[in-house]
Amino acid sequence: MLGMLAKFFKVLNGDGAPGQIALGFSFALFIGLTPFLSVHNIVILFLVFAIRVNLSAFFLASALFSVLAYGLDPLSVLLGESLLASPGLQEFWTSLYQSDFWRATKFNHTLLLGSLSISLLLFIPVLILSRKLIGLYRERFMAWFEKLKISKMIRASKFYKLYEKLGA
Amino acid sequence: MTKWIRWSGLLGFVVFMAVLVAFWLFAAAPIIKFSIERFGSQAVGAKVDVDEVTLGFNPLVLSINGVQVTDIDEPMSNLVSFDSAVADMALFPLLLGKAIIQDMSLQGVEFGSVRQTSGALSKPAQTTPSQTTEAEPAKQQVAAKPEDKVKTSSSDPLLSADEILAREPLLTVTRGEKFKSSLATHKQEIDESLASVPNEKTLRDYQSKLDIILAGKFKSLKDFKARKKALDDLQDQFKTDRKAIKRASAAIKNGKKDLQSQWSGLKQAPKEDYKNIKGKYTLDAMGTSNLAALLFGKDAGGYAATALEYYEKVSPLLANDDEEGDLLEDAQQKRLAGQFIHFPTDRPLPDFWIKHLSFSANLPMGEVMVTVEDITHQQDVINKATTLKAVGRDLPAIKSLTLNGVLDHRIGKGRDQFDLAIQDWQLKGLNLGLAGLELDNSLLDVKADAIFNGSHMNAQGQGSFNQANFSSNDKTVLAKEMVSALANIDTFSVDGKAEGKLSHPDVSISSDLDSKLSKAFNKRIKQKQDELAKELRNKLADKLLSYGGDYEDQLKQLNVSEGSLGDKSKAMGKMASTEMGDYQSQLKAQAKAKADKKKKELAKKAKDKLKKLF
Repeated sequence: MLGMLAKFFKVLNGDGAPGQIALGFSFALFIGLTPFLSVHNIVILFLVFAIRVNLSAFFLASALFSVLAYGLDPLSVLLGESLLASPGLQEFWTSLYQSDFWRATKFNHTLLLGSLSISLLLFIPVLILSRKLIGLYRERFMAWFEKLKISKMIRASKFYKLYEKLGA
Repeated sequence: MTKWIRWSGLLGFVVFMAVLVAFWLFAAAPIIKFSIERFGSQAVGAKVDVDEVTLGFNPLVLSINGVQVTDIDEPMSNLVSFDSAVADMALFPLLLGKAIIQDMSLQGVEFGSVRQTSGALSKPAQTTPSQTTEAEPAKQQVAAKPEDKVKTSSSDPLLSADEILAREPLLTVTRGEKFKSSLATHKQEIDESLASVPNEKTLRDYQSKLDIILAGKFKSLKDFKARKKALDDLQDQFKTDRKAIKRASAAIKNGKKDLQSQWSGLKQAPKEDYKNIKGKYTLDAMGTSNLAALLFGKDAGGYAATALEYYEKVSPLLANDDEEGDLLEDAQQKRLAGQFIHFPTDRPLPDFWIKHLSFSANLPMGEVMVTVEDITHQQDVINKATTLKAVGRDLPAIKSLTLNGVLDHRIGKGRDQFDLAIQDWQLKGLNLGLAGLELDNSLLDVKADAIFNGSHMNAQGQGSFNQANFSSNDKTVLAKEMVSALANIDTFSVDGKAEGKLSHPDVSISSDLDSKLSKAFNKRIKQKQDELAKELRNKLADKLLSYGGDYEDQLKQLNVSEGSLGDKSKAMGKMASTEMGDYQSQLKAQAKAKADKKKKELAKKAKDKLKKLF
């Protein structure tokens, strides 16, 4: 936990572009909230690796959202169920169900559809919000934060040194 | 735009995916082999062995060689085995973890083949011995079957008089033995007591002695005393002999009374025995009332049991796991983990699905082509039931054989239905297991259907036998009579029903053979009944004679002896009552006689004097 926190502050205090960090957070929504072994996650991983997304931010946020997913799963399942059972969408789902590709995405799984829907809904808000918060943090709080005892403690911790040593 | 692309990351991703695909290509076959063996073993409860799995990619063909599925009840034999299976697989669903096999054909299918090694799953050490003991009772059961057969034949409706008399506890024998023993005891007692009874010569001697003692007058006092002593001795002997006669009479009387009492019981015994035997051994056609079940029950039951065994082993594999266990708990778990919602489609994708399976099975009756459609444990996903069709091909002894089956587990516990039709099955040398009876030849048509609803079953079938010929090598009366009765029957049918719980259904087998046999038997049985009854009575009379023997003669002799003893007793009594006067009395009598003589002479003289006076 301490290591993650150290890494988080390293990312925030590093020279990574705020947009790339924000993208990392946003893409992490999919990996963290939705079941990992899904076709859409291959696409997400491809995008994360192929586009200059901050990988540290991505993996850090993935871990964070995976923890959050435990609490969100029931909500995701309910959302997925309501979507799949929605009379107005039956024709749409049925047409998707005829396609091997869409079947491969497991769109008809309640948890996957629900969590994917939440991820999609939150993608843009998280992207914008995290982008703004990172900018705000760097402008107003970074210098002040680095002077805090906790910041010094973190930087003095063996985990932080280890991360620095590894160049993470 | 290109500044947004991370080439190193892109390359890394491509390499990672390539490694992943390469790994899958090389590892797929071993993983499939492992999966079949592991999950197959779990499903069957015994070892499933696979020699080799190969994967071809253009087109995607899965070849599985040397598959052996162990029979859980007999670990040294296989439930089913086949040399090779070639499956055309759908690639895209496989990437989704779904094994969809378009077409699968099996070669070298065998049922019940022998294994080289035990197929029992290894269990903790302490439970291992139980595996062998589990197998042994099965063998014991098999071994026990002939005994059962013997037991069955022990209740044969027709037995010879000697066989019946040999196996039955007879009153004639029991009472006869007792009578024989009593007769011997009494005879010994009577003989012993008669030995001390005086015979006729002795009696004559006694009389002679008595006459001598009493003859003449006592010559002197000494003479008197000597005679008196001889008479007293003789009377003492009389007393002893009379006591002996009394004992002998009592022995004869007791013996007669006891033997007469037993004799009346013994004379009744054959009648009672015959009555008991007649009641126990139904000497009429009723004995044949369920003969068809006796004759065909074993075979029909055997086939049905084998079919049920296979059904019970296959049926659980078709059951959707979703239906097992606590549904509520299951639903709650699914709700948390999410679940797939299926939509109407003509392209369903269950986890496992063999769309078409075909193989030829070499059964004892010949080669049977089997095709099975839609094998899956998720019938609700494909919305289709598993269908089975088995058709005999160039069967040497069967004109046509068709088995159709529908295993529908889409709703609830499932409903499975089977129809069997066999036409002109040439039966030859079919051992019927009773009295050495064989169905030498016959043409058999079979129509049967069975419905399984969850754990309940309802099956019925009819076998129509034509041109039937029976024979028996047994020399027993039953065998001969059966063959005689069956000689005039060339067509008959056997109906079988099984209803109730799958684990222990109520099975009944009936046949018009029963009524036909009864009719044919009635005449023979009546004749045999009379013969047997007569023979039984004669045998029982012989037995009575063997025990009673010359009892009547002996009784006459006893009566004679008793009478003779009475005479002897009377004679002895008379002799014993003989008394001898004493010597003084003899002297007084002589003096009185002398005085009387003198008195008479004086009176005569006086009378003569008086005459002279007048």
